[in-house]
Amino acid sequence: MRSVRPARIILSLLIWPLLAAGAGAPADLDPAWTALTNSRPQDVLRLLRRDASARAERLAWAAGRIGAQPASDASMREAEAVLAELAPGPDEIAAEAAYLRARIYQMHLSEPDFPKAAQQYAELAARRPQSHWAQLGLVKLGLLKLYLLPDSTDPAADRLAPAEALLPRISEPLLRRDLDLQIGQAGIVLHQPLARYLPHLIAAEQVGGITGTAGEDLIVQIGVLSERGGDWARAREYFERYLANYPTNVRAFTIRQKLEAVNRRLAQEGGA
Amino acid sequence: MKVRANSIGLGLLVLGYIFAVYWVFTRSTPVVSSRPVTIRLAHWQIEKGPPDGVDAIIRRYEELNPRVKVEQVLVPGRVYNQWMRTNLVGGKGVDLIEYGVWLDGLTDIPARYFEPITEAMQRPNPYNRGTPLEKVPWVLTFTDGLLTQRVSAPDPGQFYAATLTEVSVRLFCNRNLLKEITGSTRTPRTFAELRVLFREVTAYANRTGRPIHAMAGARDNATWLLQVLLGGSMMQRSQRNDRHGTLALYNWDALGLYLDGHWSYRSPEIRAGLALMREVSLNMKPGFVQSLRDAATQEFLRGDALFIFAGTWDGTSIRGLADFPIDVLRFPQPTKDDPVMGPYFFGAFADGGGGTAMEFYLNKQSPHQREAIDFLHFMTSVEGSQLFTDHSGWLPATREVRIPPDIVAYKTPLDCYSFGAEYMTIGSSVNAAILRNFYLLTGAQGSVDRFVEAMEAEMPAAVRSDLGKEIANRGIIVRPQDVRIMAAAALSRRSPQDPNLPLARERLESSQTQSEALMLQMSRQLAVAGPAK
Repeated sequence: MRSVRPARIILSLLIWPLLAAGAGAPADLDPAWTALTNSRPQDVLRLLRRDASARAERLAWAAGRIGAQPASDASMREAEAVLAELAPGPDEIAAEAAYLRARIYQMHLSEPDFPKAAQQYAELAARRPQSHWAQLGLVKLGLLKLYLLPDSTDPAADRLAPAEALLPRISEPLLRRDLDLQIGQAGIVLHQPLARYLPHLIAAEQVGGITGTAGEDLIVQIGVLSERGGDWARAREYFERYLANYPTNVRAFTIRQKLEAVNRRLAQEGGA
Repeated sequence: MKVRANSIGLGLLVLGYIFAVYWVFTRSTPVVSSRPVTIRLAHWQIEKGPPDGVDAIIRRYEELNPRVKVEQVLVPGRVYNQWMRTNLVGGKGVDLIEYGVWLDGLTDIPARYFEPITEAMQRPNPYNRGTPLEKVPWVLTFTDGLLTQRVSAPDPGQFYAATLTEVSVRLFCNRNLLKEITGSTRTPRTFAELRVLFREVTAYANRTGRPIHAMAGARDNATWLLQVLLGGSMMQRSQRNDRHGTLALYNWDALGLYLDGHWSYRSPEIRAGLALMREVSLNMKPGFVQSLRDAATQEFLRGDALFIFAGTWDGTSIRGLADFPIDVLRFPQPTKDDPVMGPYFFGAFADGGGGTAMEFYLNKQSPHQREAIDFLHFMTSVEGSQLFTDHSGWLPATREVRIPPDIVAYKTPLDCYSFGAEYMTIGSSVNAAILRNFYLLTGAQGSVDRFVEAMEAEMPAAVRSDLGKEIANRGIIVRPQDVRIMAAAALSRRSPQDPNLPLARERLESSQTQSEALMLQMSRQLAVAGPAK
């Protein structure tokens, strides 16, 4: 028995520095981020520690906490506490943390706190206006202003103007496109005059790159809405584009009828 | 004697052993597969045709890909919903799964369990090399550009599925019986001519005492017809209600328009469609609403019905099993002078054609996503789709595929208005209410009024419930995207040489914003809509 105890002590002394080094070394975060892109946030919580010294590791942990199921307000508060620690920093991690924090208030709590989310998007944009996360936050802020803030039930409120005011602050073209698109769609839903929202749809379409149904729909929309507004030339342009790009789509028959009608109007007005 | 018996026993044992050895080495499956990857695809199209078509695709794919084994899992429609839900919840779902947005109680499935395939859809299908579609993005190789699938996609910025066949609904006619009844094989071209034929069939049945009806009856077949009739009768109003200018009506918008009072089952156009449906249903066997489509098929095959209105998905079975010649025709439509639908006539309307179906989704939990997408590529390539069409008797969903002459009649030319709006399967609660009350429209004691009143009593709550589900389902998609966006950005900083990572992030951000905006629009609709509270 006596010989065992010194051996244990020696072994512990040998292992301890290795454990200490391991604990302090920054983790390779690629597996964690890859797990998040593959919708496996629970793996992140196994791989990383909440109280890690590296800021990037704590950010990834918080992201994993937000994504892990079952989601609860308690888990969101836990993630939010870590993000609140990271958000005031001077680096890009701070901007990411501030953005995610706002997202928690907007999307992840069972009772969202929209004014608080809006305030955090605005603060982030004021503090780091050129950060991608601040720019993306402005798009989200725009959505809140279009539909929820300050008071969605006031029929007299001009809901487009506050969102439009954000556009000049968004320098990333694709993000600006996304807000333009949503201002345009909101104009329809909120019964605004055509001249008020159609330019936003056109601006979004001109940037291009909108995937899924929305991109195809947008071409039809601009054609149909231009026709409604009496802009026959633009209607023709978009109907022709649609037929060139989607000749076998089930909407093609209707669009051909519309194109013929538009061409007749243009011929009558001498613009063919 | 005992020695002889022993010898016979020993001989039998040796023979049995030799036979077993022969069987093991020549017939049985190897204990360890020579193919390291196995992917499975599941669907409910167990009718005659599609399993053979998919088998043909698998055989060719396995020739081209010796590493991969593909298994086709056939699940009967009656248990498909439960099967899919339990397998996905248990993390054991197959790699590729057929799904349809109309499946009752499953609207959350795509958001929870399916992986978008948007990136792959933007690039050409590699199996189309050497064909006219070689350089065409995968999404544009489908005859409908996947419009039907995208209309029901949970996320407007993403593609989720690839389709295998184009579907339409057709009237299948027993030619011999038609000649027996009318003395001619001329089929009706308009709804007015169909009315005349209905009367002739009734007179013939009374005269001969044979239990013959003009239309084979079952709830499925009747509701498919009602979808076509409502789509047509509402075409004018659908165009008028198209506030977004998309020339298509999404389910969430149909629900919102209802709340805003832009349509209801009391609308005269809907009542016209319902009246036509009642006319047709009175020419079906009484009590047909209790039966499903198999009963209607059997009725038609027995020669007890002149027509069956069925999906082209039933065409191979019907034509393969019938012992009489069959003509396939488009449902005769009302014209401008029709006494019922004439006032609302807008033009010829789509009869289920143009859209593609049998859509396969990629399981998020699949351990072989790369191989599953590769198989999906082959399945929907010109070669794969040709194999499917030739062996199944179903139309292809892929362009440039030769259509055999005997199924050309299934194809709907682009000669009619289509709006994708049939005011029935716009949500699971609304659809359930229709099925519950359908007997009030079609039964002997029923009427359009009784059906309309029963529906309108249920609609406000059903519409609100369905709109709530639309919002909740999008929330399921939108929330996890926050951390995926963050992760894509982090990985892209670490691998700046990979151009796909920033692209994936940009697309994810854009589609998330679109879905989020849609959720806000729908929530506002629920909050401000008045009449249907």
